[in-house]
Amino acid sequence: MPEIKVTPLGAGQDVGRSCILVSIAGKNVMLDCGMHMGYNDDRRFPDFSYITQNGRLTDFLDCVIISHFHLDHCGALPYFSEMVGYDGPIYMTHPTKAICPILLEDYRKITVDKKGETNFFTSQMIKDCMKKVVAVHLHQTVQVDEELEIKAYYAGHVLGAAMFQIKVGCESVVYTGDYNMTPDRHLGAAWIDKCRPDLLITESTYATTIRDSKRCRERDFLKKVHETVERGGKVLIPVFALGRAQELCILLETFWERMNLKAPIYFSTGLTEKANHYYKLFITWTNQKIRKTFVQRNMFEFKHIKAFDRAFADNPGPMVVFATPGMLHAGQSLQIFRKWAGNEKNMVIMPGYCVQGTVGHKILSGQRKLEMEGRQILEVKMQVEYMSFSAHADAKGIMQLIRQAEPRNVLLVHGEAKKMEFLKQKIEQEFHVSCFMPANGETTTIVTNPCIPVDISLGLLKREAAIGPVPDAKKPKLMHGTLLMKDNSFRLVSPEQALKELGLAEHQLRFTCRVHIQDPRKEHETVLRVYNHLKGILKDYSVQHLPDGSITVESILIQATAHSEDQGTKVLLVSWTYQDEELGSYLTSLLKKGLPQST
Amino acid sequence: YRDLHTFELQAPTRLIEWACGNRVCVAGYGQSDGNEILQLIPPPTLLTKETQGLCPERDFKVECGGFSERPVYSLKYVPDTSLLVTSGPPDSSLQVWQVSVEDSDVIKSVSTLATENGTGESWAKIATISARAPWVLHGSRLDRVQITEVESRKNVYTSDIQGKPNVLFLERGSEELSGLAFLDCNTLLLCCATGRLCLADIRQPQSLVEAVSVPSAPCSEQWCMGTRHGAQALEPSSQPVARLSSRGLLTLTDLRNTTEFLALAKARVPSPGSGAEFLCVSWAPALEGYLAISGFDGTVHVYDMQSWDSSGGEAEPVFVHKGHAFGGAGGSGDVPLVTVHTWHLQKPRTLLSAANDGSLHVWDWVQPCGKC
Repeated sequence: MPEIKVTPLGAGQDVGRSCILVSIAGKNVMLDCGMHMGYNDDRRFPDFSYITQNGRLTDFLDCVIISHFHLDHCGALPYFSEMVGYDGPIYMTHPTKAICPILLEDYRKITVDKKGETNFFTSQMIKDCMKKVVAVHLHQTVQVDEELEIKAYYAGHVLGAAMFQIKVGCESVVYTGDYNMTPDRHLGAAWIDKCRPDLLITESTYATTIRDSKRCRERDFLKKVHETVERGGKVLIPVFALGRAQELCILLETFWERMNLKAPIYFSTGLTEKANHYYKLFITWTNQKIRKTFVQRNMFEFKHIKAFDRAFADNPGPMVVFATPGMLHAGQSLQIFRKWAGNEKNMVIMPGYCVQGTVGHKILSGQRKLEMEGRQILEVKMQVEYMSFSAHADAKGIMQLIRQAEPRNVLLVHGEAKKMEFLKQKIEQEFHVSCFMPANGETTTIVTNPCIPVDISLGLLKREAAIGPVPDAKKPKLMHGTLLMKDNSFRLVSPEQALKELGLAEHQLRFTCRVHIQDPRKEHETVLRVYNHLKGILKDYSVQHLPDGSITVESILIQATAHSEDQGTKVLLVSWTYQDEELGSYLTSLLKKGLPQST
Repeated sequence: YRDLHTFELQAPTRLIEWACGNRVCVAGYGQSDGNEILQLIPPPTLLTKETQGLCPERDFKVECGGFSERPVYSLKYVPDTSLLVTSGPPDSSLQVWQVSVEDSDVIKSVSTLATENGTGESWAKIATISARAPWVLHGSRLDRVQITEVESRKNVYTSDIQGKPNVLFLERGSEELSGLAFLDCNTLLLCCATGRLCLADIRQPQSLVEAVSVPSAPCSEQWCMGTRHGAQALEPSSQPVARLSSRGLLTLTDLRNTTEFLALAKARVPSPGSGAEFLCVSWAPALEGYLAISGFDGTVHVYDMQSWDSSGGEAEPVFVHKGHAFGGAGGSGDVPLVTVHTWHLQKPRTLLSAANDGSLHVWDWVQPCGKC
């Protein structure tokens, strides 16, 4: 049976280290290669031994696809390609290719320099890994090889995030990665066409969440910032170079304009140029609104937001500063943090997940006394806030995507088994498709029903058309022919043509059956009896009595001989070719019933 | 406001029920099939005493859900069990469900409590109690009220006894019920859509005490009732019962003295255009003398009845929640209608309200004039 096999190596029934292996029509594809942010040992990497125990990964895998730059989707990539060993192509979108190495390097620095780990990938490995990357555009069909093709779709979520369709022949799988169905200020909503894949693999992390409206969260964020600034405090917002930072900038800029606020907002050096540079390059990835306004005025050049200078941190009075890196583990944001931490009027707002070991993680866990370099203790009196604007699809969004793509089967990853049962039933009930939720290492097999296109010869087509009524395009029609499979092509031809092409001789099959008849008379009298009998019954057929004493019914031959031992029994030999099978069997059973008395 | 959170449900609900463990239950009523019952865990912000602004966990989580083949108009948890009971059109039968969160996140349909359905029988109103056994009080008309034991499905009480119907019922005919409640394990409170309020003792099925009638109205109006469930064990009969009409009239009755009104007031509400389907009045469990009404438009009013008298004059709300009217798609013309509201059981000024556009709001209002 044709089937698609899916094995999650990570994110099977837990969150983190997304890595899914898909086998489709003989091709093997690895989807994402993430790191689990909660573990410090080998459990943070997906278990690659599931793929193949002794073979080379490069030989086994046809390609690797990375959906977006979040570390739980690409964090293990350098480890996988350089330390475990893989030299095949790695596909991702252009923004992902640009941003991935930055985050990987950042992460490497924290793990190795701060936490002192040794078994970790190096900067050179990251570079070597990225050399294997082939960047793709949205909606561009990429031929991985002659049979395997992939296509990226817009996923929202973060800059460059994509959903991928993997197609071999007429079997296809769509992998969503992380996606979002509601547009926000700087990214649009995910979109896919009615591609009707055999399988849709979707995340279900937020399926059980009913989200607080964005307006409320934004309002609360602005309230906090405003309150701090009003009382003369300083607000530090550590950000990654890209992504949410732009969203928050737009938000603050609009708010400052509306409320006519005077406190300065700064964007730390390097961020502005990099951000603008990337956003200009990838303007097609942001949403419609931004693209339109970008033409008139650069949305990422702000009236109220200026470039930061290190000296400003010591200025008195309120201000808001966006600084990198996002987890407060090094660089400018950490510097500023150290200066401002001692004042309770100040505030730091962490906009996302912080890796264990970073200052960001520590203060979010409630630590208020931190040990810095040189055994210095830093007392944190400033307010610490955490706010998450991350965009994932909720149950409604997942249903929307399934409605758009119309898959035949759905597979859920990224959720806990017990908490996905309701969603599974919901999907099965609404769309009447099967829904699977495998655990890590568990292989799910999905049976597909591919259509195999076959060329039919004109001669055969004409012959079939002549037989029955005009064929209905919507109804399947049963035909007889010979299927020739040669060089990846399928042809349906008539048997004669097939014999000719293959240079085979046609064989004739002839059957002979013996029927015993009780008749003491002479053979030729029996033959006459049989002839009259058959003539009477088979009025539509040509029944002939030949001079040599045999009877023919169409092309079937009947001869009578006397039984060798018993003169009272005559033996009728009924002989027919394979083509006349039906009539032959009919005649035989007819004769076996015996002859009528009078003839 | 001290705080306001807005959420959007996939389908609108007309009920918000509290379950143990601070869970909240909502259910769909729109479609003929495929309505979802959702048991939600509110975000930690709602559970703690202080409000936090940027708390990371700000979302409701669906703890478990079930699929109902009929619209769910009413839902009640059966105390001390893992069961809940729902009712909805087209008839007055009840559906019993099991919630077992440890095993799976699906609320399973367990059984159906069928009832004799007369002609024109609408959906049953329900109330539950677990005094002698888990009971559900249900019925859609005054003369068809029953108490059924949930697990054994045995009928413990019916208002219609052995062919000898209660004289009272016969007189006035069988009126449609708008609400019912257990006052204690022996006493029932029944409110008709006409406004008639009756007390019944299940030990004496023949007797029925009727409370003072609501003022008659020039045009037909519908009534509903609200009883107070305190967080502490309060003497049930000492709590006044409120009745709300579709014209905005509010009557308060002290059950120890049912011959006259405790108070009478008129709320300032738009003249009935939206009907009485979602009329809702409720008492604050943690605040003395406060009640809330909704169902007229996209607002929820909060009143302090302690200043009311029996004159029937217009009352001024202490607070009006307008969020639903603004939250919607905006510009589409249709103002959402609040379908239900409920008070938080511990936080004195926190309410939850839902509207027919699927919105669910959690809000904490501030006393305007400083008296707390």
